[in-house]
Amino acid sequence: MKTKIPDFVKTNQFGLLLLVIVFILLFTFTTDGFSSRFNIYALSRVVAIDIMIGLAMMVVILTGGLNLSLGALGVSAAMFGGWCMESMGIPISISIILILLFGSLLGWINGYVTVKTGVHSFIVTLATMSIYFGFMTLLTEAEAFRKLPETFTDFGSMKLFNKYISPLLLLSIFTCFILFYLFKFTDIGRKLIAAGANPDAAELSGISVNRMFIYCHMLSGFLAAMAGIMLTARIGAAIPSMAGHLGFDWLLPAFLAPVIGGTLLSGGKVTVFGTMLGAMLVTLINNGLYLIDVGEFWVRFFLGLILLFAVLLDRAREYFTSKNSIVS
Amino acid sequence: MSNLLKKDWFGLGLVIILGSILISFFKPAFISPFNLYVLMLSVSLMLVVAMSQMIIIAIGQMNLSVGAIGGLVAISFTGLMEVYDLSILPAMFIGLGIGVICGFINGYITVKTGISAFIITLATLYIFKGMNLGITEAQPFYEIPEAIKYFGNAKIVGPIPFLIIIPVIITFLMWVLMNRTSLGRYMLAYGNNVQSSELMGISSTKIVVYAHIISGLLAAIGGMLVVCRLQLGTPNIGDSWLLPSFAAPVIGGAILAGGKVDVIATAFGVLLVAIISQTLVIFKIDPFFVQIFLGFMILIAVFINRYREYREDRRNKVFSNE
Repeated sequence: MKTKIPDFVKTNQFGLLLLVIVFILLFTFTTDGFSSRFNIYALSRVVAIDIMIGLAMMVVILTGGLNLSLGALGVSAAMFGGWCMESMGIPISISIILILLFGSLLGWINGYVTVKTGVHSFIVTLATMSIYFGFMTLLTEAEAFRKLPETFTDFGSMKLFNKYISPLLLLSIFTCFILFYLFKFTDIGRKLIAAGANPDAAELSGISVNRMFIYCHMLSGFLAAMAGIMLTARIGAAIPSMAGHLGFDWLLPAFLAPVIGGTLLSGGKVTVFGTMLGAMLVTLINNGLYLIDVGEFWVRFFLGLILLFAVLLDRAREYFTSKNSIVS
Repeated sequence: MSNLLKKDWFGLGLVIILGSILISFFKPAFISPFNLYVLMLSVSLMLVVAMSQMIIIAIGQMNLSVGAIGGLVAISFTGLMEVYDLSILPAMFIGLGIGVICGFINGYITVKTGISAFIITLATLYIFKGMNLGITEAQPFYEIPEAIKYFGNAKIVGPIPFLIIIPVIITFLMWVLMNRTSLGRYMLAYGNNVQSSELMGISSTKIVVYAHIISGLLAAIGGMLVVCRLQLGTPNIGDSWLLPSFAAPVIGGAILAGGKVDVIATAFGVLLVAIISQTLVIFKIDPFFVQIFLGFMILIAVFINRYREYREDRRNKVFSNE
């Protein structure tokens, strides 16, 4: 115990970083297409959105709740954006602000109902999921917006750094830094964490827990709307089915990234960069599964196994660290 | 009488009866034999699915993989008959067995790791669904024995489908389980307070694993009932079960924190959801409205439950002051 190990090495993030590097090396040497410029560019576009989705779920998990309506909310916001830009001809920058406000509003509804009824956010967001998705399908008549302004769609297909990286990824990483700053250094961020970690204690020390929980849901809606915009830019169109039926396709990456990243499901602990690395790991494995050709249909099966494996590993880590702390 | 008023199912029953009278007044087609037949068919299927979720809600957890289990069993059941030429009975028992195994996996991992059932069943949802798609490659099985087709179409008397027998028996058995057996009472005790139920000497492992096994078994039965009705085994059976499976118990007054479920009220919840969906169809309202409606109904039920809790709290306070 005399050898000094830097604290960083002992963290979950470091383990994740190692895993990400190991997988990158593994796929680079065992498969043909992995390190090609095309594949890395495609990966950067996918992972950008997965990070955003993971962050959107993370901020609700902070409250000890979850947000099933994430996908439905993101798609609704994206379709609203398509309507703003294509049908109403509102300039892009104003449209984006409107979309983000719209997402926050839907998130506010989730938070408000959860706080007012005292029911677990699971059941509230299950209901709002079908409400948002239902209204979205009704209003759009399941038609896509395909004639978006070119400046907007060009952003989605732009290539940076010798054509390796999409600007979408930079946007996601930038968001990570802002969230990190929010939770680490601002008053409101600390209050959000305190409210999630121990609502009673937070309430006693003068924090309005209900308001904090509503803020978390609003932030989740904001980030989900952001993911919706990015997905629209990537595809070049706003399509009602782009997150699957009821937005369910977003749910697995949404939970995988924060859970692998070390966010506690009981609330009160967030790891922004853990979530980022978690999303990267998931995207890498997903991409690898396609490259080694397990068959399109089995990819889902393996992703489920990976989630199971990740939570079990997390459990084991917790078990051993608690054991160690008793000994010392 | 005042006892009756306090029951969860009483208000629901009243809403159902009054609503039905009102609807049939405006649209006599509502009580046409064909409409009643369709209504009862959809009630039959959703009843089993709702019970499958309800028993997990009773122990204070949730099971996202209900639909995935139903789908996996449905395609295994039909696949065994079509590809391996198994007769109906062995295929059925293997199907039930798969449901039990899936439930056991959910329950065992949940209780042994202490990780929330939500995450475990989200993972197994993808595992079971992935196996389903991996096996079928998204192609349905069409060759269903005549006996099953007959069972799915036959009527007992008038508009009453043959298929409804199984869900009715299951509902009765679930009522007996939750109200008349020690296992059922233990489940509710566990759902109410894990620590105190353990202190009473109730084995958590046993309770959680049994509840998930029953849930898996019921999901399996649900999957096979859909096969009987559709007359084919498609991989997307079970995909749309999640929302209704929670809607019925919640509308029936189940508290999601566990410890309180009502089998009869859940059954009424299923009936209410089915009637409303059917009515929207009769009034030629866009099917997507059904979804929105279901969402709103859950929210309304949640608010009503909250209000009743609040009122009960106040009444208890008055008594304690005396």
